Amino acid sequence: MKQAPTLSSAFLHPACDQLPEPLLALRKQRASTLVDMPMPTRKTENWKYSAKYLKLDDEMAISLPNEGKTGNSLAVPGYKVVFINGVMVPEASEFPDMDGIAIKRFGDLSIDEASALSLQLGSTLDPKRTQFAHLNGARFEDGLLISLKPGAVLDQPLFIIHETWGDAPGSAYPRIFVDAGANSQMTLVEEYISSGDASLLANTVTEFDLAHGANITSIRLNMEGENVQHIGATGVVQQRSSRFESHCVGFGGPLRRHDLQVRLEGEGGECKLNGVVVTQGKQHYDNHTCIDHVAAHCNSEETYRNIAADKSHAVFNGRIHIHPDAQKSNADMNNKNLLLNSGAEIDTKPELEIYADDVKCAHGATIGQLDEISLFYLVSRGIGRRQANVLLTMAFINELVEQIPVEAVRETAQMRLNEFFEQTFQEA
Amino acid sequence: MATTDQEVNELIKREYEHGFVTDIESDTFEPGLNEDVIARLSGLKKEPEWMLKWRLKAYHRWLEMDEPDWAHVGYPKIDYNAISYYSAPKRKEDMPQSLDEVDPELLKTYEKLGIPLHEREKLAGVAVDAVFDSVSVATTFKEPLAKAGVIFCSISEAIRDYPELVQKYLGTVVPHSDNFFAGLNSAVFSDGTFVYVPKGVRCPMELSTYFRINAANTGQFERTLIIADEGSYVSYLEGCTAPMRDENQLHAAVVELVALDDAQIKYSTVQNWYPGDEEGKGGIFNFVTKRGACQGKNSKISWTQVETGSAVTWKYPSCILKGDNSVGEFYSVALTNNFQQADTGTKMIHLGKNTSSTIISKGISAGRSSNAYRGLVKFQPGAEGARNFTQCDSLLIGDRCGAHTFPYIESKNKSAIVEHEATTSKVSDEQMFLCRQRGIDPEQAVSMIVNGFCKEVFKELPMEFAVEAGKLLEVSLEGSVG
Repeated sequence: MKQAPTLSSAFLHPACDQLPEPLLALRKQRASTLVDMPMPTRKTENWKYSAKYLKLDDEMAISLPNEGKTGNSLAVPGYKVVFINGVMVPEASEFPDMDGIAIKRFGDLSIDEASALSLQLGSTLDPKRTQFAHLNGARFEDGLLISLKPGAVLDQPLFIIHETWGDAPGSAYPRIFVDAGANSQMTLVEEYISSGDASLLANTVTEFDLAHGANITSIRLNMEGENVQHIGATGVVQQRSSRFESHCVGFGGPLRRHDLQVRLEGEGGECKLNGVVVTQGKQHYDNHTCIDHVAAHCNSEETYRNIAADKSHAVFNGRIHIHPDAQKSNADMNNKNLLLNSGAEIDTKPELEIYADDVKCAHGATIGQLDEISLFYLVSRGIGRRQANVLLTMAFINELVEQIPVEAVRETAQMRLNEFFEQTFQEA
Repeated sequence: MATTDQEVNELIKREYEHGFVTDIESDTFEPGLNEDVIARLSGLKKEPEWMLKWRLKAYHRWLEMDEPDWAHVGYPKIDYNAISYYSAPKRKEDMPQSLDEVDPELLKTYEKLGIPLHEREKLAGVAVDAVFDSVSVATTFKEPLAKAGVIFCSISEAIRDYPELVQKYLGTVVPHSDNFFAGLNSAVFSDGTFVYVPKGVRCPMELSTYFRINAANTGQFERTLIIADEGSYVSYLEGCTAPMRDENQLHAAVVELVALDDAQIKYSTVQNWYPGDEEGKGGIFNFVTKRGACQGKNSKISWTQVETGSAVTWKYPSCILKGDNSVGEFYSVALTNNFQQADTGTKMIHLGKNTSSTIISKGISAGRSSNAYRGLVKFQPGAEGARNFTQCDSLLIGDRCGAHTFPYIESKNKSAIVEHEATTSKVSDEQMFLCRQRGIDPEQAVSMIVNGFCKEVFKELPMEFAVEAGKLLEVSLEGSVG
């Protein structure tokens, strides 16, 4: 047997040491688990369709500099935190000033707070399925701990702008942890953007720990450039009667990977995951989601739509796991895909793993093309073929985009998607 | 539900009715696998030189292969050197020339299993090839079949009598390098069935093979090759049973189907190997590679399986849809009880234009068993206008079992359309209430509900076997009401 390549040790050396001791210890521990980590190949089940896009040269292991750029002054309808290359830029950020809500950089945590956090970091993710979240754990240089006291309600959405920027190859490791107390509420919007044109890697982790009755909405917009490989993970743990809602909109790139894992640990928990992916050219996007129904009486609802054009490749892998004794679980997963050109590829794998009998689980998946009859209908009414294509494709995903609860984000997403389709159907 | 639970437990304890051992003298190889064993096996079967070479090539490739571990099953590691690779009922001299010469003990065995071996039982209207341990003991209805031009014989005979056909097709659908168990089978297969249906012939009757493992510590490795030439049609059925033993026994078969232009093959399986006792002790490990190639235009291959036996099942009857307009079908009922584990499903590989496939899979798990559907639907860039519909439903009976679905869907053609849906549910209290309210006892009610759940698949089986399958399901499941 040929020896499988392992993660280059160049990736195991973090740059900055401006963190409290417990977090430095955590980083070291994580790095030790990565020694000899096999790089995913076509035969690695959870990277089956994406391993060929993963290109991590040693020079990309270098931490991107976080000085010399101030972050854009983009106005957002809410609070704003700017991260450049995984490090927060305080001068570009506007924090909420409210009772019960504390937002702290990892570097500003006391030893006690940091040691509490070091136990929580990574606890929401299944290490077997998210190798690269461990890489983030070994490399993060900064991060944000958002703590909501019981009953705290953030009045406006909090925007985190993650910008990856570089003129030379390198990587960034932003880390966010949301500790939502009982009955607290907030909306977190994460936008991933990039500048510069060197080949870059954004390896991100965002975690949510929801105490009972907490209600969190997470919106994720992935709009990085063609030079950025993105490997992101989001982990969620939910206690009794909590609710989590996620809206992801992703534009393809050389490598785009997002792992979303939700663990329903308390009865009455509810989660709703929506996702939209569009790819064109030679782009790639891979969404892996996993919902663990650990406790009884939980509901989950998942809807993902992918559109692949030209020679691009979109992947969806959704997994629902009903644990023994998670009776009366309701799980519904739906994945619809549009394949616009025969050079493109869509792979989907909706999995169910069920160990309890009194449950209602269903999944559905389809792959197809635009309906000729609908197209004909529009064309027969004087709408150009190209415009008709754009309209129908937009309609295919708009159903989900319209559900994004923050108007400004919804409009940005719709605008970007429309531009994307105008471009896709240019020659058609 | 306390009363029903009790009933369930009682009824689940039903024993396997084919678990007897036939006391018959047999020639059995010493356990172990090496080149000599393969040479001896090949020599015993008076095989030509090319066959031995083919086996040895497969053996050497197999030595380099790893046992697959991706399936959702767990079983103790198999020691491939502790298995005997050949066992045959002892015979005085040569092969029996007619049924009268077959050992009466053997015939009794088949009678007990309810298999019509005697030609006088023409009412059954089924031609049977019976395989006992490693060898084919008898084939019925040879004459009328020969009149139609259909070749139906054991694969050992085919290797001797029709080498050009065997050489042309053997290993073309499932190459020896395909997977670990197919490699092992290629090296040591002892017998099996060969069918050739010539151009334009509609096979006049259903063909059938019954497999029986009798000897202890042996593995059974049969090989089936069915070729349907242009415009022909054949329907084939296999059934399997084994005695109750505490040790696990290995069954690793390979089935290859080839359908040329406009040909149609219908392949049905009723698999009832010994599933192990209620503690999960013993039972057959069933690792089978089945694949059909729709090579010609407008050809069709249809798999129907009813899987109720085996301790571990690992089986994915597949279709390679190469010819334009070819059709692949897969209908499956897999039932697991006690500690049985099944990981089964299908692969539909669409290569040709306007190819279509249908997958209907019904999984029923009871007791502490685990039942997984694993399937692949793949559209290659050339599969213009291809179509697939997949439906996998699982039914859970009891709260200690598992039901899983792992469908892989890959599309590289924009005009191809695939639809997949899956549901999981249990026999609902409402359904039970409705039946019981009308005076139907719980056992019958479950049987009715499960039969209804499987109806789509049963209707694909040849009539006699549909009845048999329904009964088998009743036996395996009776009263497992949750």
